[in-house]
Amino acid sequence: MTLATATQPKEARDKAGVSRSGSRRSGPDTAFHLLVAASALLVLVVLGGLVLLMGVGGSLAFRTFGLGFAFHDVWNPVADLYGAWAPLFGTIVSTLIGVAIALPLAFGTAFWLTAMAPPRIAAIVGTAVQLLAAVPSIIFGMWGFFTIVPFMARTVQPFLTHHFKHVPGIRFIIHGAPFGTGLMTAGLVLAVMIAPFMTAVMRDVFAAMPAMLRESAYGLGATRWDVMWKVVVPWSRTGMIGAIVLGMGRALGETMAVTFVIGNVTAVGWSLFAPRSTVASLIALQFPESPAGSLRLSALLALGFILMLLSFASLALARMLRGDTK
Amino acid sequence: MTPGTTQGMIQDSMMTETDPQAAKSPEVALAVRNLNFYYGENHALHDISVDFPARRVTAMIGPSGCGKSTLLRIFNRMYDLYPGQRATGEVIFDGRNILEHDLDLNILRARVGMVFQKPTPFPMSIYDNIAFGVRLHEKMNKADMDARVQDVLTRVALWNEVRDRLNAPASGLSGGQQQRLCIARSIATRPEVLLLDEPTSALDPISTARIEELLDELKEEFTIAIVTHNMQQAARCADQVAFFYMGRLIEVDSADRMFTNPKQQQTQDYITGRFG
Repeated sequence: MTLATATQPKEARDKAGVSRSGSRRSGPDTAFHLLVAASALLVLVVLGGLVLLMGVGGSLAFRTFGLGFAFHDVWNPVADLYGAWAPLFGTIVSTLIGVAIALPLAFGTAFWLTAMAPPRIAAIVGTAVQLLAAVPSIIFGMWGFFTIVPFMARTVQPFLTHHFKHVPGIRFIIHGAPFGTGLMTAGLVLAVMIAPFMTAVMRDVFAAMPAMLRESAYGLGATRWDVMWKVVVPWSRTGMIGAIVLGMGRALGETMAVTFVIGNVTAVGWSLFAPRSTVASLIALQFPESPAGSLRLSALLALGFILMLLSFASLALARMLRGDTK
Repeated sequence: MTPGTTQGMIQDSMMTETDPQAAKSPEVALAVRNLNFYYGENHALHDISVDFPARRVTAMIGPSGCGKSTLLRIFNRMYDLYPGQRATGEVIFDGRNILEHDLDLNILRARVGMVFQKPTPFPMSIYDNIAFGVRLHEKMNKADMDARVQDVLTRVALWNEVRDRLNAPASGLSGGQQQRLCIARSIATRPEVLLLDEPTSALDPISTARIEELLDELKEEFTIAIVTHNMQQAARCADQVAFFYMGRLIEVDSADRMFTNPKQQQTQDYITGRFG
């Protein structure tokens, strides 16, 4: 074909429109190529920019306190002494509590929706799950503040203190005045926030499972329990890890809802019922009060940098669990 | 008129109603009587009555949507997984109507195995794919389980191909091997009936031939009901053939007579490829 066009006289080629139609097509095509490539490259630029901003902005704090910045548990703006451990600890523990509560909830809901619920009810509940996932976090914050915090302060904490205050393994977890705020409350609110997300993802994963595979298991005389644990869970492992990471990512960075209910005290301790703080809530509260160029602002940016690393680490962990090394 | 002759007359009238071929057969594994099936409002099977002779292959043929797979899924109550699907009438298996509500489905499904259109290996090792079903119903030690696994894999002619990688994931097998594994998995729980829903529709001709050979051996022990779109397959494998059309059983007869001299014009048209 190319040989034939090359040996033809030029006017014949023009008449056939070979060379001209070629150049006509290449114009928009190249533009399109550049556009899509640019949008993809923008991802790299933005990611790099964020890391750079946080890293450079936080460099003053890192230089002042060294790498120990991450593990110092003092956050004292009056003495200008900053360590990230208290908010970091709060972030990690509240996220873990949130995921631990949300995971069985989301799994159960998703399994019921895909495998057991009557279609009409599944459609209604499925839509409700999506609506719940779309509720802005500030709403959850206010709900937590007006409902969960008093409930914790008046019911849960007195109950736990009364029954478990002498039990050695549990005493240190429930220790504290009944404020109602703290890691457990934050974890609960986070769980309610991320469970709909995780449910939606898991439901898609379960729905993608071939009906025949499920029927094969039932066809052998397996109970729902057997089918769930031995067939559905192993089959959807990758997707479920994805759902967990998505939920964790949201919980790690959640700011507003947590700020409302965690109590905002920069202290470290194992009590799940004492006021604490998280990285995101601390940044949100103290950012407006930190003058430009101050050590305090730099420490907050450094906190942001560490939070990003934490998110990346959770993503890397997910890939490792998935057995995906690329 | 003596009571004896009355009885004889009743028997005669019953004989003419049911299929003569089935009546001749000494043993009936599944007896379907006046079976109706509904997908919600949709009446999918109309008044089906047919016998499945024990240790024979019965093929169910007919165009898509004719109800042949629906019938198959009644025999292990698979439809129970889906709300809104229900059956009326009787399916007698081992002296009991399996449509009854208080029937233990897990036991029924251990006695009535099923293989699907596509291979459905579980996300686990080859060994565990077989042990999974067995463990649901029997407690046995490792040596007995090993023996069971080897036995069923040998019977589906898979043992020599997988004996060195029993602990490898079943997903690594070829399509034909996976389907033979699924058959092995089904017979490992020692069922009496084996339901096959177009078991070779996703397989190449060589794998198909191997499965068909396998059916010939398996029918010595199991009652086999197979749904197929492939006329040649029905002719090759089946002892009895049932032709379905629009949710009704049009004709049921021995495979020889069905393919050489069908009684109904509709059957004739379908098997000669005029429609379907």
